Amino acid sequence: MFNLPETHFNFGGDEYIYAEISRDMRIESNFKALAVTDELRKREIPGIIDIVSSNSSYLVRYNPDIISARDLLDYLKEIDLTKSDPTKLHFSVRIVEIPAWYDDPVSKEFSYRFKNRHPSPDLSDFEFVMKVNGFTDKEAFIKCHSETPYLITMVGFLPGTAWHFPLGLQPNEIIQAPKYNSPRTETPERGIGLGGAFNVIYPVNGPGSYQLIGRSAIPVVDQNNQLEDLKETSFLARPGDIWKYRPINESQYNKITSEVKTGKYRYKMKEIDLSPLEYAEKGKQYVQELMGDF
Amino acid sequence: MIEVKDPGLWTTVQDMGRVGKYHLGIPPSGAADKYSFIIGNLLVGNPVEFAALEMTLIGGEFEFHKNLIIALTGAPMEAYLNHQPLSLWETHYVKEGDILTIKACPIGVKSYLCISGGVNVPDVLGSKSTYELSQIGGFRGRKLSAGDRIPINEPLPGASKQIGKFTPLEFVPSFHHFQELRVMMGMTGYLMNDHALKTFLNSEWMVAHESNRVAYRYKGPKVSFTEQHPPFGAGNSFSNVVDIAYPIGSVLFTNEEELIVLQNDATTGGGFITIGTVISQDLDLIAQSRPLSKCRFIAVTIDQAMQARAERTKKLDALVHLIKR
Repeated sequence: MFNLPETHFNFGGDEYIYAEISRDMRIESNFKALAVTDELRKREIPGIIDIVSSNSSYLVRYNPDIISARDLLDYLKEIDLTKSDPTKLHFSVRIVEIPAWYDDPVSKEFSYRFKNRHPSPDLSDFEFVMKVNGFTDKEAFIKCHSETPYLITMVGFLPGTAWHFPLGLQPNEIIQAPKYNSPRTETPERGIGLGGAFNVIYPVNGPGSYQLIGRSAIPVVDQNNQLEDLKETSFLARPGDIWKYRPINESQYNKITSEVKTGKYRYKMKEIDLSPLEYAEKGKQYVQELMGDF
Repeated sequence: MIEVKDPGLWTTVQDMGRVGKYHLGIPPSGAADKYSFIIGNLLVGNPVEFAALEMTLIGGEFEFHKNLIIALTGAPMEAYLNHQPLSLWETHYVKEGDILTIKACPIGVKSYLCISGGVNVPDVLGSKSTYELSQIGGFRGRKLSAGDRIPINEPLPGASKQIGKFTPLEFVPSFHHFQELRVMMGMTGYLMNDHALKTFLNSEWMVAHESNRVAYRYKGPKVSFTEQHPPFGAGNSFSNVVDIAYPIGSVLFTNEEELIVLQNDATTGGGFITIGTVISQDLDLIAQSRPLSKCRFIAVTIDQAMQARAERTKKLDALVHLIKR
């Protein structure tokens, strides 16, 4: 079983119920949020408007003219208790490869442009993240960051933005970074950000407060539906999917971005079954089995 | 069709909003002041959810290219039809070639131009509302500009019976410079100490200039966080939690001197301490509050929130009875 405390429920105004599984981030909390929200979505309850699985919590929006707040609360509590037994959970998800140019010039330029909002204005974001995590060698940092597969634990902020969190690591092994003191007003599109223990890829130019450590060569949103693999929903991110970074250099970056522009790029993806039980039991070893030779 | 001669300060197409897409990071959008929006649609004989134009502080100028039935509701913008004053909260008949000029409002922020048949733009993800940050929905995903030609549906059969109907004074909001906003406390407010919670509830807060459809920002007294060690994963700031999905109306502390109330075009999730959620009715009040105006937050229970909701429904039902066809 997951070793989790009792979920804490809260009314968010008259239309929302917020359920907090744990205050701190744990993969188990996220698996539970996915399980409960999947079950709720499957039941198609009239009057439930939005169901959002989040990092270590979930949020439900409902129409109180159709369902009473207290009845829905009782209903959610029951699903929360009974439908998150890890021995019965299986997620069909995808592993997706993200070609990433670490410490690229655009991220560096943005680091310096917004340095007055930065906790350590003399360093670029990349240098800062290396330093606070005890790295002195750039290649060692890149190897460590890209070797770990990341679980998509939440989608939100701006459409298509995915928080992803390392799989199979102990808390003390996770690369972490403080956020900006005050958010940047601009962020490069496809910028890879790190804040707390989470990574994101910014889908479009917009505000952001995570440290910019590199740039993805491939988009996570495609509103013109040019790319075969994003046709279904326009968005790459799905909660429960696993993203794996592959470090690339400038010429590889340019080659991939031009394939994206002409609509020819195909995402490297693999469908897998993810078992929360095996993850809980075997941890890192299970993650390695899942990844295989991907 | 309506031709935009002058788009005003910030005019967009809105309806009751987009639902079921929050998990993709897509907020509901939709009319900021739903009460005024709904009455506008009732006046012209529409179902309440038909799309209309939402104007901000200064309305603009529009030429009608067909005969239509319209109503203006919301903030009392000064309005003229072919240079003759035009009353708000009342149904009017306009003819092809008529020019509607809508100037500034002395109080309030948002006004609605509702038209029988509704604005005819395509549904995107189930709604006609404009979400500008991602250019989703509305008229080409953006605010209107001069020269835009906005398609309008034919007036509904029988809508002409609505002409001359008006909203009795007791149903017209007062657009005070001081608002009392009802909030349900909770969410991640446990990271604030008792003193901070008291300061939040006992102080006046002033609307900052950089407030918009995404978020309203307020300045007030300094509050302090508990300075407990932030939860694992959240980063190292006392104002951060592990990122959550935010309800629309959530009250966030971005730092010890600024609070934000998320509006219909909200960023759907993030890691700021969330002290509670403003009830849905009072989001209309926020949308009509001008920069430098003030408010106070009043803590309510779920029963009080439901009571407020029931009162609103009752009020609108009474109005439907008065102005329906």
